[in-house]
Formats: sequence, structure tokens, C-alpha cells
Amino acid sequence: MQTKILLDEEQIPKKWYNVQADLPSPLDPPLHPVTHKPVGPDDLSAIFPMDLIRQEVTTDRYVDIPEEVRDVLRLWRPSPLYRAHRLEKFLKTPAKIYYKWEGVSPAGSHKTNTSIPQAYYNMKAGIERIATETGAGQWGSALAFATMLYDLECTIYMVRSSYTQKPYRKSMMHVWGAECIPSPSTKTNSGRAVLEKDPETPGALGIAISEAVEDAATHANTNYALGSVLNHVCLHQTVIGLECKEQLAMVDDYPDVVIGCVGGGSNFAGISFPFAGDKLTGKHKDTDLIGVEPASCPSLTKGLYTYDFGDVAGLTPLMKMFTLGHDFVPPAMHAGGLRYHGDSPIVSRLVHDGVMRAVAYHQSEVFEAAQTFARTEGIIVAPETSHAVKSAIDEALACKQTGENKTILFNCSGHGNFDMTAYDAFYSGELVDYEYPDELIKQAIGRIPKIS
Amino acid sequence: MRRIGFLINPVAGMGGSVGLKGTDGNVDEARRRGALPRAQERAAITLRLLSHLTDILFITCSGEMGASALRECGVPHFRVVYEYQGKSTAEDTKKAMAAILREGVDLILFCGGDGTARDVFQVAQRTVPLLGIPAGVKMYSAVFALDPATAAALLSGPYHLQDAEVLDIDEEAYRKGMLETHLSGIARVPGRAHMTQAAKQVFEEADEDRAKEEIARFLQEVMLPGVLYIIGAGTTTEAIARRLGIVKTLLGVDAIRDGILVASDADEKTLLDLAGRYPETRIILSPIGAQGFILGRGNQQISATVVRKAGLPNLIMVATPHKLRETPFLYVDSGDPALDREFGESIQVISGYRIAQRKKISRAS
Repeated sequence: MQTKILLDEEQIPKKWYNVQADLPSPLDPPLHPVTHKPVGPDDLSAIFPMDLIRQEVTTDRYVDIPEEVRDVLRLWRPSPLYRAHRLEKFLKTPAKIYYKWEGVSPAGSHKTNTSIPQAYYNMKAGIERIATETGAGQWGSALAFATMLYDLECTIYMVRSSYTQKPYRKSMMHVWGAECIPSPSTKTNSGRAVLEKDPETPGALGIAISEAVEDAATHANTNYALGSVLNHVCLHQTVIGLECKEQLAMVDDYPDVVIGCVGGGSNFAGISFPFAGDKLTGKHKDTDLIGVEPASCPSLTKGLYTYDFGDVAGLTPLMKMFTLGHDFVPPAMHAGGLRYHGDSPIVSRLVHDGVMRAVAYHQSEVFEAAQTFARTEGIIVAPETSHAVKSAIDEALACKQTGENKTILFNCSGHGNFDMTAYDAFYSGELVDYEYPDELIKQAIGRIPKIS
Repeated sequence: MRRIGFLINPVAGMGGSVGLKGTDGNVDEARRRGALPRAQERAAITLRLLSHLTDILFITCSGEMGASALRECGVPHFRVVYEYQGKSTAEDTKKAMAAILREGVDLILFCGGDGTARDVFQVAQRTVPLLGIPAGVKMYSAVFALDPATAAALLSGPYHLQDAEVLDIDEEAYRKGMLETHLSGIARVPGRAHMTQAAKQVFEEADEDRAKEEIARFLQEVMLPGVLYIIGAGTTTEAIARRLGIVKTLLGVDAIRDGILVASDADEKTLLDLAGRYPETRIILSPIGAQGFILGRGNQQISATVVRKAGLPNLIMVATPHKLRETPFLYVDSGDPALDREFGESIQVISGYRIAQRKKISRAS
């Protein structure tokens, strides 16, 4: 009974897969926030290195992974693919459940798959420092680790309430030599403006993004980095799905269902894009690709497919995506990494085209699923990841009903070792089942201030 | 020195154990049936837990209405400002309240049931926060702490103030098996943020008034032209009306259409007439009372017939996160069991700007 399916280090993918090559028509371009004209490379060069800008727009099917990057990836890649025998047995399902375990990275999640190349390309471009934001700290710690490897300085604006309440993520950033500043801070104009109005503010991701972007734009040696949403981030994450394909081939299998949780969309993109490519090119037409979101922030299931800003302040380019409106501040649920009003433009496009679909769950049911997973497979997953677990369990239970023996693959994107307060809240019955009142909003849509 | 007004309704709860469903106007009958006063005991649990606090001065009444229990529990500072004669009555509660308020207090701690809460509130109104130590037969009002120990815990630390409905129950009708309640007021009570929640949440939701504003901002955004909106009682629904520039009755049910008040403090018949006049009716309601009643308590004008006329999907529930945190379940007791069942297992409650919570529903037994 093989449980782990392992690849050799040499089998770390040599190229990232770019699904843009297989789209039937090009993506709608990002638009300049002021002129509403398509954004050109020059508009982005103030805060991104040219290599990443090129990756953002390329339609080449494959992009080479630099050897220097692969050398770092060797620290934890290829990540193991598990067959969830114990979970299957517990569910009494005829389905086969596989999960790709990304929690083995030093920072504990898939985020390092992109923080490493992003730091690398910035280093190559002569950049000395990177500024970024982090909500709950997953991305901040992953970038702190990456910048350390390439001798870059790193400044992380961490949402103040998380900074005080999730001290261990902050500690990780310190260990890896990054500077972690509670946001809003007095270091930037945007931070000072917020503090002046409300000195006691808990902060918000939107404010932290503004601070990091301002920091990067006003310092010549400094660039900005984003941990999800953008095309190049999704591209870097495809190592996950590419490895899965190899690993499943080793046991002569191919997934019927591929699942990932969706905040900005990069971890779902990572596991699903290589399979979406097979679907788009007709090799495997019937694969069911499922993005799982929180019911409180259901951009793919309840949002509009339209142009919107990537941040609250409206400083970023307008992107065509599923959005709940850039002024929507999602409620403070525990899966902080899924609190994003929009979604990756590519994931959005694929959902819009019917290549992928999305489902949404409430908080307490996903923790219930996470508990089942911990008690069968052992791993205590991050609250974000628990959404994918819940969907995988539901798909497996559906197979039990129909008697189908589908192959279900999900991205087990990160561990929850720093999220035990969320589990405590679950056990004390304090989890709030937030949801988005979409019916009321839909009926009144004409009266709601226009997006963009 | 904190100044806390303190009074006990010595006969509260006596009717319960002997099947009288309430003690109002029935003390002698309760005594005859062998009921024992339990309010002293209940109050003593709270007082013992507070007796080590030397920064509280209790302003109280003589004998069984306060002083005896305070003395027995070793409370260091208290002062008697009202002496009652003979047997303590509802009149005594009100007179004692007036005397206590004249002295100036930060909060009123009282021990009793729904009747006591009503009498205390009648005098105190919203001028001073109230907190009830539950000792009565019925406790539909939301001014009571969960139990006597919780009352002490609330007063031992920092607290914020929140709204709590005071419900008046017609005891005569109740004894005949009919529950007739009306909302007699909305008091201010101390509450504490659950510190085990993610701090973010506490930050964002700490401000009850801001939460109401957020709910009102959202409702204003989604209210449709031409639709009749029946607006239930309470401060959350009142905030919605205020945002529309409408003065709403706090305790009554009003109706609004196209931003204009079309009925104020309406009864069931008025609501049915109005609903018949317009093509679409929606009902905006906030849960009422300690148990979080959706229908059947305090909003009786919005009867099962009115709800059916509007259609169940047109019921819009609103409540602040604090309120929802304190009511793990919502209750529905519309008087029409078939309608109660149609509510299903859970309901959406708007709790912020474009934010809702899904709450489980329990049926009142």
C-alpha cells in the first residue's frame, strides 16, 4: 500500500507551464488606473524587474526555470504526493484521494515556490531591497526566506492586528533577517495619513499594500513583490501541478477532479493549470477543476467578471477578474489568506469560460473537515487549506453515493501550526459562519456604485 | 470608587417552583404553595465573587432588598438609601430605584426576573446601564447575565455597553398558556468582547454603533424603489431608518416606502392593509430578547399572516456581531408551527456592510 509517491531531485521541473499559451483568445489586458489604456512594461518597471514583467505577459507555453532557482527548490522539492488511504477508509469512499503536500517548504506553504524566483530576478536586476505586505504572515515569511538567500534586504508591512496577534510568523521573518513593520506605519505617506485619522486602527491588507507599493516606488533600489493574483506568480506555482502529473503517471493515474483553495488564486493555479492545459488542448476534456473559496469572500462564485482595481486604494492597474468590488473589506475570518476581493485574472477567465468551476464553504464546515483530515492523515492544515480538504471530502462522499471510483487530487498548500488559535475557536464554538449576502446585492446591483 | 446601585426583588422566582409561571401579584399564593425565596441565594453568589473588590460602593435598600445579602457576603462598602416597610412590592422596586438614581450610580445591579427588569427599567430608562442577576421564573429580557457568576465576572473587568431588550410579559395571559410579550424598552447593559476570538475581529467589531452604521449603509444600498419595507423594533433597525432620514419608533413596527414613512407604530391590521396595497413587501427585523427571537417576541404586530403575505424569502434579518455572538441560536415562534418549520435549519443575518452570518435556528418549545 504505497502512501508517498516521490520524485527524484532531478525531476524538479525545468520549465514552468504557461496556460496563457493554450487560451483560445488572449487575456484582456490590465488597464492603467488613470488613463484606462492598456498597461505597458514601462508602467510596471518602477516596481517590478523586467524578467518578471516579461513573464507576466508572455504567451510562450513553457518558461525556463533558472538553474539557480532550481538549486534552491531542491531544499524541499519535489514535494511528496500522498495517497490518502486513511481518509478514504474513514469516508468509506470508492474514490482515490491524492494530496500534494506543500507544507514541507521551510516557510510551511506553497508561497516559497514564487518567493524564490521573484527574489532571484530582482537580485539579477541589481535591486537591493524588496518591500511587500503580508496579512497573516505566510507570504511575508516566504519572501523573508527568499530574500535572505539572495542577500537582499526585505521590508514587510504586516497588518497591525496580525502583527500583535500572530507573533510567530513575525518571529520567522526576523530569523530570516527581514524587517517586519506593523502597518499602518509612520514610514510612508499612506501609513501616516491613516494613523492621523485613526491612531488605534487595526490596519488592513489594502493599507499594507499601499505602504509597500509606495515604499518601492519612492526608493530607487527597492522593488515590490506580490504573493498571489498576478500571472507570473501563478506561472511559478505550476511546479506543483507539473510534479503531480509525473507522480500520478508513476502509479498510472490521472485525476478526474483537481482541487485547490482560492484567495488570490495562485495555489489553485499551481496545481490546476497543467491539467487545465490538457483540458483546453483536448487531451483530457472532462477533468473537473474546482476552486474553493470562503462563503464570506466568494469572488468566483458570487462576484462580477469585470475590470477592477487590485487594491483598496485604487493605485494598481485595473484587471479583468471576478471581483466583489475593491472597496469590499471581507470579514475577519480565520483563513486570512483567502480574504481578497478579487482573483487571479487567468483563474477568473478560466472560470468564466467554464474550464474551471468554483464552490464556497462556511468556516465551521471547513474546520470540521480539517479535523477529519488531522485525525486520519495526521496533518493539521492551515485554515486556507482546509477549504480544499472540505471540497475533496465532499467529492469523495459524492462518489460514495454514485459508486464512482474517481481520482481526486487536491493541493494541501500549507500547515496550520501557527493557526492553533483558529482551531481553539472552532473547539470553543466561537467560529462565526460569515457569508456574502449576494441575493440582496444582486437585486440591487444597478443601485450599487459602479466598480472601476 | 465605582458606585453600583443594587437591589433584590426578594420574591422573584417564587412562582416558578410551584407552577405559577411568575410571581407578579401572586406572592401570597406562591408562599401558600410552599415556595421559598431564592433571590437572596442567587444574589449571594454574585456578591461573594465581588466581595474582594474594595473599589465598589454599593448603593442599596434595606433588609432583603439588598443590605442583608451584602452584609452576609462580606461586601466592604455599601450604603442604604431606601427602607421598605412590610412586604416588598413592585412599588418598592420603583421607589428604591428612584432613591438609588438620586445618589448617582455608574450601573444598576439587580436580582430578579422579567417583572423586576421591567420595573427597574421603567425608572432607569437608558440613563444608566443595567445588569440582571437571573432569579426569576421567566427571563426573556436580554438584560440578564447568563448566571450569577457571569454577572460578577462582567463587573470584575473592563466592559463595553450594548443594547438589550426589556420584554414585558403579560403574566395573567401566560398562566392561561398564552405568551403575550411586548417590548417595553431597550436598556444599556455591560458586555465583554470574547478575548479568545481573533483580535482582528474584536478590533473591527468592538464598536457596536459603528456596526449598526455599517448595517444601515448596506441596507440603504439594497433597498429597492416601490417596495414596502416593514421595519421591526430595536436600535439596529432604528439606525437603518435614521440613515434614510426617517424618525422611527424605537419599540414599535414602522413601514417605509421610497424613503418615506408610511406607517408609524403600526398594528397587524395596518401592516396587512399596507402589504395588500403594494406589489412587494419586505420585512426588516432584528432578533429580540435574551434568546434571540426572530418572530413571536416583541414584534407581535408582524404576525405569521403578515410574514406569509410578504413571503418568507422577503424577510431580511439584521443584527450586530455582538448580539449574534451572544445568541448561538435564533428562535422562531411565530404562532404558526407550519411557518416556523418553513424557516428551515438556518437563516442569513446581515451583520455588516455586505457581510452576513449564517445562524442556526431553534424552535421555541
